Amino acid sequence: MKVEAVEYGDRKVYSVASFNRGVGDWLARLPTVWVEGELTELRRHARWQSVFFTLKDPADGACLGVTILRSRFDALRLDLADGDRVHVLGRPDLYEARGDFRLRALSIERWGLGDHLAALERLKRKLGDEGLFAAERKRALPRLPRRIGLVTGNDAAAKRDVLTTITSRFPAARVVVAETYVQGPLAAPAIIDALRHLCAAPEVDVIVVARGGGSFEDLLPFSDERLVRGVASCPVPTVSAVGHEQDTPLCDLAADVRASTPTAAGRLVVPDVADLRSELDRSRAGLARGARRSVDRASQRLERAHERLGRAPALMVERKRARLETAAARLHALSPRSTLERGYSIVRGDDGIVRTVTAVGSGDALEVELADGRFGARAE
Amino acid sequence: MSELTFEDAQRELEQIVERLERGDAELDEAIRLWERGENLYKLCLSRLDAANGKIEELARRVEDRRPA
Repeated sequence: MKVEAVEYGDRKVYSVASFNRGVGDWLARLPTVWVEGELTELRRHARWQSVFFTLKDPADGACLGVTILRSRFDALRLDLADGDRVHVLGRPDLYEARGDFRLRALSIERWGLGDHLAALERLKRKLGDEGLFAAERKRALPRLPRRIGLVTGNDAAAKRDVLTTITSRFPAARVVVAETYVQGPLAAPAIIDALRHLCAAPEVDVIVVARGGGSFEDLLPFSDERLVRGVASCPVPTVSAVGHEQDTPLCDLAADVRASTPTAAGRLVVPDVADLRSELDRSRAGLARGARRSVDRASQRLERAHERLGRAPALMVERKRARLETAAARLHALSPRSTLERGYSIVRGDDGIVRTVTAVGSGDALEVELADGRFGARAE
Repeated sequence: MSELTFEDAQRELEQIVERLERGDAELDEAIRLWERGENLYKLCLSRLDAANGKIEELARRVEDRRPA
């Protein structure tokens, strides 16, 4: 339909009806969408063609008027009552006679806790299949982070618990706090944003996401697919401390470490300074002991070398003596003395040892050697 | 050396202690290790005693806020 404007000089002016029609036409081009909310102010009259109700956002009370054809509404047989959580499929629509914006519903589905849980379970399985929760993706937390990032709401409890635990265990700790929404529709993107900022901040070695307990719905943002992926892909190791022990939002599974409470998270990210100090002191004692051992060992070696050096000349003489004695013994074994002891004798003439009878003439003077001495003799 | 993280410094210190306790280092090496170990110990200690413990608030993004 054409939207006509009347021109007064250079000003284009629309009638209310044509303005509404223009806006209505534009809205009608938007696609159909699903909207979730709490059903309130349900008005159904037999005389009316349409049923009216208001969808309320449980997080912040934002409202949206909804209309649906009575016949269609009745055919759904939903038996809805105020306060029921529903998903509405519809398209934006302008009631031109009044300029009222509303959602023209095509279908409505009841959306209860069971549906929530089933959707969560599906998401958990899907992300699990992608390996987002796998044990081998988990990184170890640094022993002593230079700075600790803390994502938390401005509610006192969780933030205070984490900070008190950290500073009492390790007074020199440096913490960067990013306050953000921790429930409602803005929470997931806001937390992702906070994570990104903390990762970009210098020296942040670990990040804690902390939120105290709350209703199932309060904790839903911590199972938001975007947030879970954000935590899993966070370049800095993360600790998730969301809700109480029995709550397991998906971001707990995606984080490197899950802490049962904000206090437990505080204990995980910093060591106890007293423990650390005694560890260091033990190391230092070991250092001194080890150094002494090295010096002792070196000086013992030196001592031994010196001792051997002192013994060397005597050893040399000893060794020479032994060699001499060996030679003497061998020499002794070769001497004729032992033969003489058995009764043999050596006979010497003028020309030396007499070996044949022909070498001796009658009357020659001879010398006879026995084992124990010599005596003179004359040949006959 | 001051760029070392606490963990790296502590780990190196423990390795040095282990090495020294085995007693197989040459004397020069042992003295060098011992000095290094003492420096690492002091570095670790200074990290513990740092008087710079503090809590900062990351600048809030006002444009995200809307009345509740």
